[in-house]
Amino acid sequence: MAIDTVPPLVAAQLNYLISHCPFSVKVEQMWSGCKNPSLLDRFTLVIPYCLDYIKWDVIYNAMYPLAAPDVIFGPEDESFQPFYGGNEKSRKNSLADWNSKDPARLLSLIIELRDAYIAYQRRRIEEVDDDRLKFEISTMLSREGIEMYMTSCTDKPEEVKFAVPLLDMGLNKLVAGSTWRHPQKIYLQVVFPVGKKHSTPPPPRLKLISSAELKALFSIEDFRLPPWLDGMCTAEYLPTLEEMLESQIKDAVSSVEMRRKFITALVPLFGRPIEADPVFCRRATFLASSGVFTFLVHFSLSLQFPKQQAGLTLQSSQHFNSNGMPVKSPNLSEYPWSPRWEPSEMADRIFDFLADECLNFKKYCNQLNQQ
Amino acid sequence: MEVTEVQSFNPPLGGPSALPGGGGGGFSLPASRFSSEDILFCIDVGPETMVEMKVNGPNGRPYTRLESIKQAILLFVHAKLTINPDHRFAFTALSKSTYWLRKEFSSEVDSAIAALRGLSVDSSSSHADLTQLFKVATHEAKKSRGQNRIFRVILLYCRSSMPPQYQFPSTLKLFTLDVMYLHDKPGPDNCPQMVYDTLVEALERVSEFEGYIFESGQGLTRALFRHMCVLLSHPQQRCMQDEMDVPKSLIKKSPAAETAQGDDSVVSSQ
Repeated sequence: MAIDTVPPLVAAQLNYLISHCPFSVKVEQMWSGCKNPSLLDRFTLVIPYCLDYIKWDVIYNAMYPLAAPDVIFGPEDESFQPFYGGNEKSRKNSLADWNSKDPARLLSLIIELRDAYIAYQRRRIEEVDDDRLKFEISTMLSREGIEMYMTSCTDKPEEVKFAVPLLDMGLNKLVAGSTWRHPQKIYLQVVFPVGKKHSTPPPPRLKLISSAELKALFSIEDFRLPPWLDGMCTAEYLPTLEEMLESQIKDAVSSVEMRRKFITALVPLFGRPIEADPVFCRRATFLASSGVFTFLVHFSLSLQFPKQQAGLTLQSSQHFNSNGMPVKSPNLSEYPWSPRWEPSEMADRIFDFLADECLNFKKYCNQLNQQ
Repeated sequence: MEVTEVQSFNPPLGGPSALPGGGGGGFSLPASRFSSEDILFCIDVGPETMVEMKVNGPNGRPYTRLESIKQAILLFVHAKLTINPDHRFAFTALSKSTYWLRKEFSSEVDSAIAALRGLSVDSSSSHADLTQLFKVATHEAKKSRGQNRIFRVILLYCRSSMPPQYQFPSTLKLFTLDVMYLHDKPGPDNCPQMVYDTLVEALERVSEFEGYIFESGQGLTRALFRHMCVLLSHPQQRCMQDEMDVPKSLIKKSPAAETAQGDDSVVSSQ
């Protein structure tokens, strides 16, 4: 039975790309382009661009392992010809200077092509006959790292999207102990309709987008964007937005400490936690007993804590449902709560509540078992 | 002198917390790097796992140790994933040496269920050798640590007259070892205390963080489940086993409770 394999030189370069790429690139599919169908020498790369993805096919040839690969861009990018034309000096590019034995070559090629793609999109967009857009480009681009993209479906009005990185504040360093693997970023996506003439150009569509891991600290869904006033441009809009965002992020960082104090206040009553999140302080689990009934107490703290009270569930160690799952209570929310109490008072009230409630939970578990 | 129970580490209720100091008992939750776990179970499948517990199953006959162990592991996996869905599990069995039941680490409960179904008793087992387990754990731990995870082995051992043999791997303390030891009552033909001491020695030498060991000779499933819940403790947040203060008893601090209970288990919030 032939097992599909990737030719070793290709595999070396692909693995290097995946593990060293500064942006998170993925392989969508692999297939064979040569006579031996079990040699996978072609693949589709999914590359993040402008808060979306572009897909490029990378075409090696297993029969000619020393040759450089070919790259095929998306059908809407027919005019993207990165290494084409120019004089002899500009011929120095990753493809012309290929070394199949160097595992880092595919990575440099992809980075080079992506940079060329950024420049290509920018050239196309600069050619668009739209005064507002031209003004935006001229005022926005003093900020680094902006990517832009123009959709060009003929049956839709054209739009130009900008991905504007916000807050150069080193988000990764904000929370001590965080093991965020990638640099956390927040972007403003600005989408301008173009092509139609208006007396006053309509406001763009605005959306905040953040990297996924940031959710543990701060939720952009809960952030209300400041209004876009008539006649505004992005360069005017950004400072207010960033000020608000920075202030709310600072609040989010202090919230971590409030949650930490609460968890710490539970310890004299509930004992040392079985496990508590020491970085974002979003959850803590304790082990408790009432007579011979032993159970877990799970606390979950939302980003709105203490305005929103801690979520509380119990889990039995002795009662199991038909799937072998230890029985859990529903979320217990009727306990006394005020965000203005000191953490020790919050803990006392919850403790007293649970001293009674765990007996109800035991009854509930026993009833389930009898069914 | 007849010893009815091996030396156990059951703490008194309301015992001291890990660190001295007033107020919150000295426990703090400092912001520190905190890793998800890769947990390798090693389940004894020797003949003594067929010994009956003192609790009957739904069909009226008593659970065997192995059945209780399987349930205890499921309890552990479910609870651990409720605490943090990023923890992962793999499974081995121990007859004379160790063999894989499920090699890939997974955070899916179904894969734990499938692995446990693959358990079958080896009635011929005599001495158990943990050397292979330690070797495998050391090897796997290196991989896990490369992914910023910590590695843990939970050994469930059931032999009352056979201390396990072992040779230590060349690199120690790459993983934490916990042990749950189920045994018969001590008698002239067995040596559960010696087995226990051998296990403690292994744990103390090999463990990266504080390893916990619990024993039970009473045949009570709820004691086994309770110990497994304590084993849920995240190794990076553990206190010394002697100083363990959980589970805490939830008794209200009402005046009626205080006079009725005397000084028994009344928890003060000070």
